[in-house]
This record gives sequence, structure tokens and C-alpha cells, in this order.
Amino acid sequence: MNARKVTRTQLRRHNRLLILRAIYTGEANTRAALAQATGLAKPTVSELVTELIDGGLVEEGGQGESSEVGGKRPTLLRFISKSRQVIGASIDANAVHAVLVNLDGTVVAEHTALLNGARGEDAFDVLIEALNGMMAQLDAPLLCIGVGVQGFVDAEAGIVVRSSTLGWRRLPLVERLRVRYQKAAILANNTELAALAQFVFGGQPRESTDTLVTVRVDETVEVGVTLHGSDYHHGGEIGGLLVSTAGADGQFERQRIEEMLRWETIARRAAALKAEDPRSLLPDTGLTYMHIRYALAQDDRAAGVLYDEIAGPLAEVVAWSVALMDPDFVVLAGDLADLGEPLLERIEAQTRHLLSTDKLYARFSLAEAANLSALGAAAEAIQTELSIL
Amino acid sequence: MNGARGLIGVITNNQHEVFQQAVILGVREAAADRGYRVVIDSIAEDFTQPRSIALDLQAMSGIIVIANILPDEHLRELYEARRPMTLISHQVAGLPIPSVITDNQRGMGLLARMMIEQCGCRRLVYIRGDMRQIDAVERDQAVERELMRASLMIEPGLLLDGQFEPALTGQLMADLLARRRDFDGVLAADFQMALAALRALQRAGLRVPEQIQVAGFGDGIEAAEAGLTTVAADVVEQGRRGVRQLIGQMEGLRMRGVTVLNTSIIARATTRWPESGAAR
Repeated sequence: MNARKVTRTQLRRHNRLLILRAIYTGEANTRAALAQATGLAKPTVSELVTELIDGGLVEEGGQGESSEVGGKRPTLLRFISKSRQVIGASIDANAVHAVLVNLDGTVVAEHTALLNGARGEDAFDVLIEALNGMMAQLDAPLLCIGVGVQGFVDAEAGIVVRSSTLGWRRLPLVERLRVRYQKAAILANNTELAALAQFVFGGQPRESTDTLVTVRVDETVEVGVTLHGSDYHHGGEIGGLLVSTAGADGQFERQRIEEMLRWETIARRAAALKAEDPRSLLPDTGLTYMHIRYALAQDDRAAGVLYDEIAGPLAEVVAWSVALMDPDFVVLAGDLADLGEPLLERIEAQTRHLLSTDKLYARFSLAEAANLSALGAAAEAIQTELSIL
Repeated sequence: MNGARGLIGVITNNQHEVFQQAVILGVREAAADRGYRVVIDSIAEDFTQPRSIALDLQAMSGIIVIANILPDEHLRELYEARRPMTLISHQVAGLPIPSVITDNQRGMGLLARMMIEQCGCRRLVYIRGDMRQIDAVERDQAVERELMRASLMIEPGLLLDGQFEPALTGQLMADLLARRRDFDGVLAADFQMALAALRALQRAGLRVPEQIQVAGFGDGIEAAEAGLTTVAADVVEQGRRGVRQLIGQMEGLRMRGVTVLNTSIIARATTRWPESGAAR
């Protein structure tokens, strides 16, 4: 391999992406403005713009204003967000959620396939069958595929190191997708991607969001982080973390956090509280998080106890995250987000108590979208290939 | 064959119904783009005497079935015969035939949230559909969820079992109006029932939207003509996406699950928000 040639190729790609990003973000939309914005020489800019136009990512359209000294009016350049599409998918113990998105993140179609208990190779088949569902809907050439997985992944090697819920161990997912679809693929942890999606599409002010922590609760508990914007992100499962809780006899006992926050545990506890207080508004059947939220809004005592018991272990996770990373935003994701602002208020209050402080700088918010990780996978794929988000 | 790459068979109840017409339009467009001809088998135009399938299934490259016109057992036989097949607006539990559906829950949730948050409704009449159908159940759940989010509930007396029957809905609404008028909005699980309720409100002399706001799920020409606020997916697009899903299978892509199309609110004259009706 010619190292010098590779370096030139990489440099050219880097410069091309610099220009693409400047056009995408609206920082510059003429060749002259691009030269000024990127510091590249005008002939280099012209060559790279021609490459982008030939590749269908950019188009010329209309004319801008002449400079103060007059002269020819410059040709305006536009990013074509529909020139390529990206498939993002996330897989957890229950289902594969996939999204087909344009390069600006617009969702064109979604696809869901249930796992129905499939594990190991069967779970991989369901992933493929869901990705195929989106492959069939492509309106433009596919740029790449992003996949999020519940569990521990080695993103750089493209390997799922361990996913206990899916029964995967050292699965070379990226390589298998690349061979099957002949396209680039990226892999990350689901919650890490949920954090990225929240950063990119979540509506938090980008300029004041440096660090964002997402705590996601569903079958397990995961924490995802984006540091320095979208430059670095990481996530992992902490379901096995032991958290102290006061038992019925007043003695403290330690329990796995995923056990404490699992829906079955919460539903069981709700039933016990309802048995103690039959006037409680918590329904005997068909209970959901939204029922608990409604009951709390009507000053239901049992609902209040449930909120406190759910907020406690989450506050421990948040307290550690705040102490270690000093995030601008803490986002609660997963079905539990249906408990709404009252849960955030309790988590925030208990976090302040744990950290012995009157004020937290982090702002708390909720992410309700079910396809957050799939959107994050698409965002990561776009970012890896084009560096524009 | 006229040079076509193959035949796509479409099985539907009645090709002349509004929804089916729009789906078939999308199917024809997308099939023509890919060089396929479309054959329609409309097997229940007289709904009292549905007939059996007349299509030569062996001659079809693939089959699209619109809604729940075929019994699940029949669909299972077709699936087990490994015919490339796509369902539109239907799913069969336990049978992994791919389908293209509208996002019932998100759409209905969007409409209910709009009625509560933007239109300011606090005491809603909810007209639910035929609760034996999954569409009705999902829309019901979505409405309940949005109401609970706003700390509201449907009063038992304001819950009407319209069963997707406009005539029945009109009667139920008239009966309700004879008893009480202390509500500020009517939300229906489909637009045909919403239209029936709207007519009953107007006959009773109530001003819409000044006194009562009305909205329903789904959309059609009658809804547009009546100025009814709705939430709907692009049904022609549903037909197009269905063909793509089918052709994907015909070309060897194994797939399962549902492709879900988003819905959007079409705000018109029966609600007070926004001031000027516009699709969003």
C-alpha cells in the first residue's frame, strides 16, 4: 500500500467533507464563501465542489449578490438532502425498529419487526428481515446502514461483544452487514445512539449543549453519553448495578437496578399498594405508566409512593453522572418517560439531596420517541460517512 | 403480457370505495414504474354476497391484499405456499406476512393531543369504533393515553359506541344531545363517524367550531367538503409503498414486520386551531 497516496486521498476526503458540511449548515453557499470559510484555495474548492456536484450531493441553483466591488454574481450552491438515504435500526429483546431517512434526518418510512423470543442467529435473521423492509423502500441510493444493539459493543471493531438479551457473543455484525449489502455499516450501543439522537434531533440548543446524558429504562437500564457535541459518545448497560433500598422492615437491602425498575416489579408493587388502599385510582387491570401519572395528578397516595420508589434508584444513577460529567442535559428515555415531569422533579430533588447541593446546572428532560435509537443509528451513519450533522 | 415484467394481483373488497381507489391508484403508479401490470379482483362489491377469488394466483408474480377481506386461514395458506404477498392496512397475529399500515396510535394520539392542547377542549365526547378490530382498539388506547397525559378522562356518559357505523353514530349523537350538551369537543375513531356527529350537532342548532369542535381519524373527499379536521396518512403513498414491499420480496428480499407510514393533521373548519386551516 502507498502510504503517501492514502494520506492524499484522506486529505482530499477530509476537505470535501469540510465543504459539504459548510454548505449543509448554511455557513457558506458560494465557491468564494467556501474558500473563506474553510481556508482552502479557490481552485481546490472549485475542484471539490465539482466532485460533490458530480456525486449528486450538491447542486447549483440561482445567483447570489455581487461583492461590494461589483463583478460577476456568484452561483449559489445547495445541499441535496434526498440525494442519498440511510437506514438506521435498533434491536432489543422485543423488536427491531428501522427507519429510512434522508440526509437531513427526515424520516421517509419506518419498519418494525417483532422478535417473538428469537435469540442468537434467529434474532439476527429478524434484523435482516427488518432491514430488507427498508431496503425495498429506498427512493435514492443507500449511503450506509447504522445499527444499535442492546448490550456491550466494540464499535471500532464492529463487533457485538455481548448482548445477553439477544444471546449474541462476539458477533461480527458490521462485517456481516457489509458482505450482505455491499455497503458501509456502523454499530453502536442503543442508549449511546439514543443520546446522539437526542443531541442531533432532540431540540436542545446545540450551542449550549456540550455534554448530554441519556438514562434509558426498559427491560434493563442503560446510560448513554455524548461529550463535546457529537464528537464522542458512549453507552452501556448498568442493569446489574446494586442499589440500596429500604425494605418493608426498614432495613436497607441491595437490589439490581434493572429488577427495581422493571415493569413487572412496578406493576406488582402497584397491585400491593392498591390492596393496601382500595380507593386508589390505580386500575386493577391494564395498568400503564400513564395511569400512574394520571393517578398522581389526582393526588393519589399510592401513585405518589410509586413515583418516589422509581425516582430513588434513578437519582443514584443521575447523581453519579452529574458528579462525573457535569452534563448540560440529563434525558430520561424509554417507556418510563410516560411518567412525565413529576418523575423528573422527584429525580432532580433526590439527586440534589444525594449530592448535598441546592442547585443543579444540568437541565432535565424526557424523550418519548420509541424509535430514538434507530434515529441515532441513522445520525451516526450520516455523521460517519459525511460529517455534516 | 404486453412486455410487462409480470403481473401483480390486488385482492380487495370493493375497488370503488374511496380508500381502496386511492390505494389502487398508488399500486398502479408504482407497478408501472417498475414494469409490472396490475390485475384487480374486487370480491365483495355486493357486500351481502362476497364471492371467492377469481384471480389465477399461479399467474401472479405477487399478491397485494387490501384490508381484512380474506380470512386469516386463507392468508395462512397463501403464505405457506410461499407466494410473495403484502397486506395493506391489515396484520395477522402470529403470521409474518409483511404489511404496510398507517400509524394508528401515533396519528390518533396526535389528533387527541391537538384537541386538548391547541383547541383547548376539556370535556370531550369520544366515539369509538368496532372494538373487535385492532384499529379501533389502538385508536381507543391512544385517546385514553393523551387524555391521561392531560389529567383528563372521558366521562362514561360521553363515550359513544359508534362501531364505525355512521348511521348508528348519528343516532347516538342525537340521543346524547337530547340529554346533555355540556361538552366542548367531539373526537371520532374515523372520519365517517365524525361527519355523522357533525351533522347531528348542526341539526341540533349547535355552532361548530364556536361551541363544539369536531375531528376524526382518516380522510376523504367528504371530509374535505364538510371542512372536517382529520388526521391521515397519504393513502396513495400507502399503495406505492405496498408495491415496493411486494417487489422487494419478488426480487428475493426476505422480510417480515410492518412498514409504518406517518400521519399528519389536516386542520379544517371544524376546529378552532389553527385560525386558517392548513395541512401540517
